[in-house]
Amino acid sequence: MPLRSAPLPRMAGHLSFMRAQTKAICDVRPGDLAVLGVPFEDISAPYAGQSLAPRALRETSVYFGWHANPQFSHPVDIDARQDISTDGLHERLCDLGDISPGSEDEIHAALRAATSQISRNSACAVILGGSDRLSETVQSALPSCQTVQLGGTPRDVREFHVSPLPNEGGTTCNLDTAAQLAAFAQWRNISKPLFVRFDLSVFETSLSALCDRPRLGGCDLDTVVQWLSVLGQNKVNAIMLTGLNPSRPGMGVVKVGQRLMVTALLAFIYTRLGFGIDHPGRLTSEEIVLT
Amino acid sequence: MTAAITTFHPLLAQPGFRLFDGPLRDVADVSADQIGVVGMPSDWTHSSRLGTRFGPEALRRATSLLQSMRPHGASFDPDTRRHTVPATDWLVDCGDAEITPQDVDATTQAIAAMTESLTVAGAIPLALGGDHYNSFPACLGYSRGLAKRAPDARFGYIQIDGHLDFSDRLGAWGSHNHATNARRISELPNIDVSNMVWVGIAGWVDGGDLALIEEQGGRVFSASDVHKLGPAEVMHQALAHAMRGCDELYLSIDIDAMDAGYLPGTGSIVHSGITPRQYYDLLDGLTEAPLGGLDIVEVSPPLDPSERTEFLAAEMLFRILRRFRTRPVTGL
Repeated sequence: MPLRSAPLPRMAGHLSFMRAQTKAICDVRPGDLAVLGVPFEDISAPYAGQSLAPRALRETSVYFGWHANPQFSHPVDIDARQDISTDGLHERLCDLGDISPGSEDEIHAALRAATSQISRNSACAVILGGSDRLSETVQSALPSCQTVQLGGTPRDVREFHVSPLPNEGGTTCNLDTAAQLAAFAQWRNISKPLFVRFDLSVFETSLSALCDRPRLGGCDLDTVVQWLSVLGQNKVNAIMLTGLNPSRPGMGVVKVGQRLMVTALLAFIYTRLGFGIDHPGRLTSEEIVLT
Repeated sequence: MTAAITTFHPLLAQPGFRLFDGPLRDVADVSADQIGVVGMPSDWTHSSRLGTRFGPEALRRATSLLQSMRPHGASFDPDTRRHTVPATDWLVDCGDAEITPQDVDATTQAIAAMTESLTVAGAIPLALGGDHYNSFPACLGYSRGLAKRAPDARFGYIQIDGHLDFSDRLGAWGSHNHATNARRISELPNIDVSNMVWVGIAGWVDGGDLALIEEQGGRVFSASDVHKLGPAEVMHQALAHAMRGCDELYLSIDIDAMDAGYLPGTGSIVHSGITPRQYYDLLDGLTEAPLGGLDIVEVSPPLDPSERTEFLAAEMLFRILRRFRTRPVTGL
């Protein structure tokens, strides 16, 4: 169901993730993807501005709110030549709003409680950070989950890391995606749900630019999309986006980081919801390219 | 307009930047086979991030600075492996078209009048955006001029872009904006959709628009096609498709086909993975094409504090205009 019958400019109207419906947390249903913002300013971060990340991610996500804009027909992933069905997205994606500002202890407590409740409702929390300090709080609320970390600094050898930043132990980055996917399949315990930490530092710095902890030799967008599609095929209790600072000094107008993260996150959302339908039989430009 | 202020001795240089440091003259003073530059400093037909109104000025500044750093005599071009010298009198900057904010028709006609005059004279209009809507009035004037100069001639069209821009309407912006320019061009009398080609399209596109293009014989090469086939092969096929039964080519260069990691200073960024090198290789594939007119759009300096966007875009112009701005040295 579209939110309105007339096209709405991206910068206008009520802001929610991908123009999703807003819900109270008690109304979250099994199978929902429940978006939750955590506008938390980490005063130990090298630059101020991480608290602006949830809003920046939502603003960028509106670009992909096809289901809410009746002027468009269905979207097509031009690279994969795949028709994308957005039917039903509005029923299963919802935005719960932000954790309210308060003392750090209060924010941690509220985030832990919200994550637990969404998990108890058999829904998946899509948590928009900010600071990755809060991802430990989310993890503590999901004790039965296996944790997969894209980017960021490794903390626990029991977790599965994709393109981690080097830590004191000298962890090296392995970008052999096929080998990593095989290792992931071996590591994975399908009796447990997943918690996914998705940090902007997973991307190669020349692409991201807005990360407080830049890295050389990170992943390209296609690789991250591939990973999030794979992860989305699993039962996931929460995915948390961290590492974006949309107002790094001099970079406030460069919206590359949030665009990268939301574009990649779409792969996860659509896989979780079981969307993405091929329409074979029609000759496309790709098929008539002379190879 | 004159290239220099003549009331003082010695002559004073014209203030401000011109594209490639070329002379500033009226469109009526441009000769056949010269490039005639038309600025289109307008961005109010863009639906989100503005700033391309400063694009023409930035391109003029960047090309002038890069020009000053290039050899002034004979030199070896490592890309073409040829010795060349700079050409003279190959480009004239005609200044900016008269932009009337909030009056799309007045702006359209003002831009079209300049590119039409240049085309009738046998010159090649090069229009500097501005958001991508302005590509339509630039091409409209070219189309009208071509119809006067060669009534039976038809032109092919290649659009290097991250987006199709083939919508019929866009929300509150109606039928004339940066998402409809290609659709409006497809409605001109001396072009057919089957001679229209898009290169570098990335991400999600509207399924209805894509189907309409392909059902009418247009071709779409995605960013993935560029990665899989290589820029040279993609442009070889694109040019062959666009020029079937046509006499000239109109080229629209939207800089946003390049990955936003390299080029963030544009309104509608995409992550195509297309590198500067790949983009330049695409343009190198058109250096011998029968260019009738071209534009470069969506350079938005306020959106890139590093200023690299305008220099990457300036290099695009150096590439596509190579055969005009240099001539080979023989006998070496």
